[in-house]
Amino acid sequence: MKEKFSQESVREFADGECIFREGESSLEMYVVQSGAVVVKRGSGQNTVQLAVLGRGEFLGEMSLLESLPRSGTAVARGKTRLLCIQPGGFLLKIRRDPTFAFELLQSLSRRIRETNERLHGSAGEGLVDEAALQQIQKILKKEAA
Amino acid sequence: MITQVSCRKMVVFSDLHLGNPFSQVRRKTVRFIRWAVSQGYDICINGDGFDVAQVSLGRFTQDVPEVLQALKEAVRCGSSVYYVVGNHDIVFEHFLFDWSGFKLAPFLNVRCGGARFRVEHGHLYDPFFVASPRLYDLSTWVGGLLLKVNPALYRMWIRFERLKSRWLNIDGMPGIEGEPASFYCSAAKIEARGFDGVVFGHTHHSGSALLPLGGTYLNPGSWMLSSNFVRIEDGRAELLDFGSFEAAGGQQLVG
Repeated sequence: MKEKFSQESVREFADGECIFREGESSLEMYVVQSGAVVVKRGSGQNTVQLAVLGRGEFLGEMSLLESLPRSGTAVARGKTRLLCIQPGGFLLKIRRDPTFAFELLQSLSRRIRETNERLHGSAGEGLVDEAALQQIQKILKKEAA
Repeated sequence: MITQVSCRKMVVFSDLHLGNPFSQVRRKTVRFIRWAVSQGYDICINGDGFDVAQVSLGRFTQDVPEVLQALKEAVRCGSSVYYVVGNHDIVFEHFLFDWSGFKLAPFLNVRCGGARFRVEHGHLYDPFFVASPRLYDLSTWVGGLLLKVNPALYRMWIRFERLKSRWLNIDGMPGIEGEPASFYCSAAKIEARGFDGVVFGHTHHSGSALLPLGGTYLNPGSWMLSSNFVRIEDGRAELLDFGSFEAAGGQQLVG
């Protein structure tokens, strides 16, 4: 049985332990098996909490998909167990567990929608300049095309 | 597309194959739906509720309207009705989406009592369906013809599958008797992504097995062969028999 499931590994983290840091070059992604993960960005007083991820949620997928440094810092909240997926095992994971890809797409789609909503919310409150917003929309349209 | 749902309690059953010449489950299904609604359960048909791949038009027109009516009644009474698409009803999904009034999904992640359960038809883990889709379609069509000749052949096929899995499973791999090992392995992969239980259909083999991390893998089997269903309640999933429950006069559910 063990051999059949050896394409992925499970890693355990204690409360407050760092999973990865912003700017770090690591490529694996994770699925929260138990516990929770806090994702934040920035440092010191400029730290912004981006999300708290619970069971079944994904993290680190942007680095795996784009081979870019981590865009945020992830810290375990409570005793946390993560399923770790390496870039080499990613396609095999999708092949053997196809709904994993579906859920990953759903998760990315949700994050884009939430970012759009936040952006429009900020524009409505006058936090983002209307001209800057139009510029961002232009870039997004160009990228979508 | 809906895939994440929360419920207080839910019943899951599958593979009714309404419209198939072998399927004689209409009355039992209607009774079950009405019972589930009376007990306040949400209802999930986990794929192949309707059979378009091996359809007998006469049987289809006879069986489907009554069951659809019962499901619509369930929605009117406040139960959520979910339909997970299987492999015998893929072409039917637009009709169901437009006309049925219940929620269609490719699979469901069900939150109940602090636990998470995956409900999925499971045809994606059938090695024959995935590796040889054209041959699978052909054999489904030939199987449909044989069922029209003699529906009893189906029971023989199911017995053969159980015997085959016993012969092949010399190592005593965990899983449900009659199923290829790929189903249990796939359920284990899903469990590793933070689920407490996995419910498949598709194989028509009813049973349950313990997963590597302590979760449960369940398959209610086909209602053409039994009347088993999975009950998800208080963060637990268990396999129960509606037939025993009815025989006991509705007093209790017998696992």
